[in-house]
Amino acid sequence: MTMAYPDPAFRRPRARKLARTITNLWLVAVLVLLTLAISSVRPQLVESTNMISMLRSFSIMAVMVLGLTWVIAAGQIDVSFMQVAALANMMTAALLAHGYGWSVAIAVALGTGVLAGLINGWLVAALRLPALIVTIATAGICASAAAALGKGTVIRIADAGPLGWMLNTPVLSVVPVIVLPVAVLALAAWYIQERLTLGRYIYAMAQNEAAVRSVGVPVTRLMILLFTLSGLCAAMAGVMLAASLSSGQPTIGGPFLINGLTVVLLGGMMVHVGKPNILGTLTATLFLGVLFSGAALLGLPDYQRQIIQGVLLALGLGVATWAGRRHGSRGGESEK
Amino acid sequence: MKLLSPLPSIWGRALVFLLLVVLVAAGFTIAEPRYLSHASLSGIARHMAANGLAALGLTFVVVVRKFDLSIAGVAAFTAMTMGAVIAAGYPLWAAVAIGIVTGGLIGMVSGVAISRFGMPDIVTTIATGSVCAGLAFLYTGGRSIFQNFFTSGITDLNDARFLGLGVSLWFLVAVYAAAWFVMHRTRTGHAFYAAGENPVAAHYSGIQVKNYVVLAYVLCAVCTVLAVLLILAESGNAETNKGANLMMPAYAGVFLGAAMMAGTSVLATFAGILLITMLLDGFSLLGVPYYYSDGVVSLILLMGVVAFSGFARNWASSFAVFFRGSGRTNNKREWQE
Amino acid sequence: MGTPILQASGVSKRFGPVMALTGVDFRVEAGEIHALLGINGAGKSTFIKILSGIIQKDSGSIRIAGKNVHFRGPNDAIGAGIATVQQHPELVPDMSGLDNIFLGRESAGRSLFARVDRQALEKRAKALLARFSVPLDLSKPVAQMPAVEREAVAVLQAIASDDIKVLILDEPTSTLTEVEREDLFRLMRQLRAQGISMIYITHQLEEVFAIADSFSVFRNGTCVARMSVEEARRQDQSLATLMLGEEIGDVFPARPEGLEIGETVLSLKGFGSAGAFRNIHLEARKGEVVGIFGLVGSGAEELAKAVYGVQPAEEGEMVLKGRTLAPKSPREALDAGIFLVPGDRRTEGLTLTRSPLFNVPLANLKRASGGGWMLRRRQVRQDASEITRAMALHPPSLTTAASDFSGGNQQKLVLAKGLYREADLYIFVEPTVGVDIGARAKIYALIRELSLRAAVIVFSSDCDEVNGVADRTIAMHKGRQVDPGPEGFTRDQLLMAGIMGELHA
Repeated sequence: MTMAYPDPAFRRPRARKLARTITNLWLVAVLVLLTLAISSVRPQLVESTNMISMLRSFSIMAVMVLGLTWVIAAGQIDVSFMQVAALANMMTAALLAHGYGWSVAIAVALGTGVLAGLINGWLVAALRLPALIVTIATAGICASAAAALGKGTVIRIADAGPLGWMLNTPVLSVVPVIVLPVAVLALAAWYIQERLTLGRYIYAMAQNEAAVRSVGVPVTRLMILLFTLSGLCAAMAGVMLAASLSSGQPTIGGPFLINGLTVVLLGGMMVHVGKPNILGTLTATLFLGVLFSGAALLGLPDYQRQIIQGVLLALGLGVATWAGRRHGSRGGESEK
Repeated sequence: MKLLSPLPSIWGRALVFLLLVVLVAAGFTIAEPRYLSHASLSGIARHMAANGLAALGLTFVVVVRKFDLSIAGVAAFTAMTMGAVIAAGYPLWAAVAIGIVTGGLIGMVSGVAISRFGMPDIVTTIATGSVCAGLAFLYTGGRSIFQNFFTSGITDLNDARFLGLGVSLWFLVAVYAAAWFVMHRTRTGHAFYAAGENPVAAHYSGIQVKNYVVLAYVLCAVCTVLAVLLILAESGNAETNKGANLMMPAYAGVFLGAAMMAGTSVLATFAGILLITMLLDGFSLLGVPYYYSDGVVSLILLMGVVAFSGFARNWASSFAVFFRGSGRTNNKREWQE
Repeated sequence: MGTPILQASGVSKRFGPVMALTGVDFRVEAGEIHALLGINGAGKSTFIKILSGIIQKDSGSIRIAGKNVHFRGPNDAIGAGIATVQQHPELVPDMSGLDNIFLGRESAGRSLFARVDRQALEKRAKALLARFSVPLDLSKPVAQMPAVEREAVAVLQAIASDDIKVLILDEPTSTLTEVEREDLFRLMRQLRAQGISMIYITHQLEEVFAIADSFSVFRNGTCVARMSVEEARRQDQSLATLMLGEEIGDVFPARPEGLEIGETVLSLKGFGSAGAFRNIHLEARKGEVVGIFGLVGSGAEELAKAVYGVQPAEEGEMVLKGRTLAPKSPREALDAGIFLVPGDRRTEGLTLTRSPLFNVPLANLKRASGGGWMLRRRQVRQDASEITRAMALHPPSLTTAASDFSGGNQQKLVLAKGLYREADLYIFVEPTVGVDIGARAKIYALIRELSLRAAVIVFSSDCDEVNGVADRTIAMHKGRQVDPGPEGFTRDQLLMAGIMGELHA
């Protein structure tokens, strides 16, 4: 502050920004390389049937963790999303089995997800309870409720409905229709995150909640909203699962916990390094899908995939922590 | 979490706890007289032993203000490890020793990652837990291990009796007594609590905070190994899903106990896990389907933490102030300049 | 003079049994910089919190430009035209200065789903900056800004909402260097020229004459004086006397007759740590109190922490009782016989949720367990009770949570930890921040008592404290040590040395 004239250099150098964007998209490159490598050994990977099934599970997974991405980006945790999905899944199947139509089933299932998210959000944001404990508990309750709906067993669905059609019908012979609405949803989320006030509040909250609160942003309501969105997204994925599997499966949730956290944290290592974001989550979801599909084609058993995934998660976490530390120390230096 | 409550003394709290125990027991006995039968009670004691050990492990971690979500994974991997060692014909003590060392090492990995490298506790333990759950399949690809189980003597841990009570219960009592002594009567315990409640002040007081965090994770994993050992003894085989049901009761026990006793402590966890086990066994005796158990435990956990929270406390203390008519308020902190 | 822009009459606030404010009358005229003075505990912070809507007054009235107002929350205060810059401004480190300034005000309506128009924001920021000649690169993340730029961002954030009439600055200079302080003052004068009134809270008396038009003095929860700076100059009024209500000298104990200076306990030779302090030569002997006066940024606190092993030093040598020592952690320093009474006792000194019985033996668990493993609880209770009784801990309870003690008594508790440890060298950092005047005297007396059997070093940014409590004083300025002549420093010389880095201006 010793120069005498105002020179606010607001404009970011465009070239540097572009270069940074490219380096930030490294996961996409890894994804492409992985796809090429696996398909050179097992060409089935990119054949129509496999592509459709891969993109189908991608769509479901992506929807499930869309809301979770923001909860984690805001510095909280939600470990109930997969059981909310399981509950929505069973709810859909049970209602269909009782003769209700798809529209009723979807509405009730999504409503359940919203309710679960609201409860999580209220307990965490308004009562200031630890998010982990709260969501562990709601996860347990949702899982029990899901199993109770089918008395512990699977509920079959006769007609997979319009959703089933979207999940199974390909356009251009490799992309199932469902990818289109999911892409629209993701684009909308990306827009919200990058261009609207909500997006910047999410990241600001993770760094300094007091700062966001002190300028009058309704932090509590915002946090409740994020948990609610997470519940809603999980429920949407649960409904999609019902259509995809033509059944309600009470124990479907379990494996999604670690999958979901892995893609969110892995995705948080690209675009905005150290910050979970929509684009990163989508890429990581695709990456994990290719990895799993490839591993299956290569004949690796389930448990080896689980180990790989745990290592990936730990790796992503380690890098994120390291990046955060470097950042922190930089902030610390300017402190002096 | 600051643990204050309108309830005045530890004795008042103990009384509330005893009242709850009596109420729960009475309720179940009315619904199903067999609840107080010898078979049912010894079942409670047995389940209590496994649940209680896992909860005790979690207690150490919660004392240093962290979480551990790797309990299920650690249980699965060490169960299969011990099973494999027994199946290979080694004596029981060797299997237990190897199990404890394996568990301890896993705990150390988590603890070091979290305390030395500053990784977030929740996701780190999810990752280590996941790797462990995968590793559990290494031995048999997921098939059950039962060879040599009956000749190894492991089932004695479940069946043997001492002074009319199952030996697993004695084991639990002994471990809790040791833990109580360490946490509440020695300098180690004093430092443990200091490291958890204010790590900076503890560091300035010459306490090696990071070591206590690592120690907490090691102890948690070791307790999990002991818990799963009792489960193996009860079922007579090792499977990869052994211990999958340890985590929920452990969390519920620790936090419910902390809510009742105004703070995380060995005795509080004991009280919490006793209530949880009584409820769980009661419901299963009443023929409530197995899949409700997680829901019930979760609901209790949720109610426990809500009671634990400042919200409920303020709400309740507003009544307390009304009755006592004292001018004590919670504003003191704001007044500090 | 017209209607005052802000007028408070009879404002009172009670916290439990304690009256924090009693009938405060206070006013700020339009377009003036009004300094608010008072020692810690005088009620300044409480009053400011009421003005900014963070807490509510019990009684009394506040008028803004003649209109009665009542604040239920911070937004009410901002709406009425009062903005506050906290002592440690809350900013989002990763966000740019621009984003921080408009955080929460990106769009006209306060919606969570409003579009952020970067160009419009940049335009608004330019307009804001054009009003003041503040050269600021607002595209930088605030984490990369020096303290003064962050302060400027916080000020701009506060006045970014339209129609701010009164700006409250809570001790803004405490983290700034001398030069930076001038920059901030320039910004304040520009704001004044735009018609914004300011309430400026400070400890530093000389700042009042440098920047303020008038000032009020708070003491014991009430406003005891209001006058213009000119008036004060004319009357040669001692602000310190006004703030304390008694002569400063009273609180410091006299050096006991015949106290001999004993062996050298600590000596530092060429002690240094990059970016914090360099080439420190210092000796501390049994029987004397060494005072080190250093403002924030002088490296004094860093030096204290280096000796205690919190942030180990990189250069030079440290000798403790004849042994060379390079502590890498507080544990090593403690084992060698050093105890530090930290400046931030709430985070560094005490386990607030726990009782004195838990806290007192914390730094010496070996003694608490009699060298063994098991705690000797009765012995601990007895020792703790003896130590705390000797220092008149109030309330004299060993089971009350540390958070329920006043600032002064919390400091006594930290000191009790140190006494339980029985060290050879005691280091105090800002020993009386947040301690009321009565407890201050007691703490100074305890420091003096300690010097009878150990070496004592007191680090403080309060010149009078250093001058009063120490037998020998040294100043630190920008990481450099400023030694006195053979006669030692007078109080004014010490102040000059700490502020300017040399003896004569």
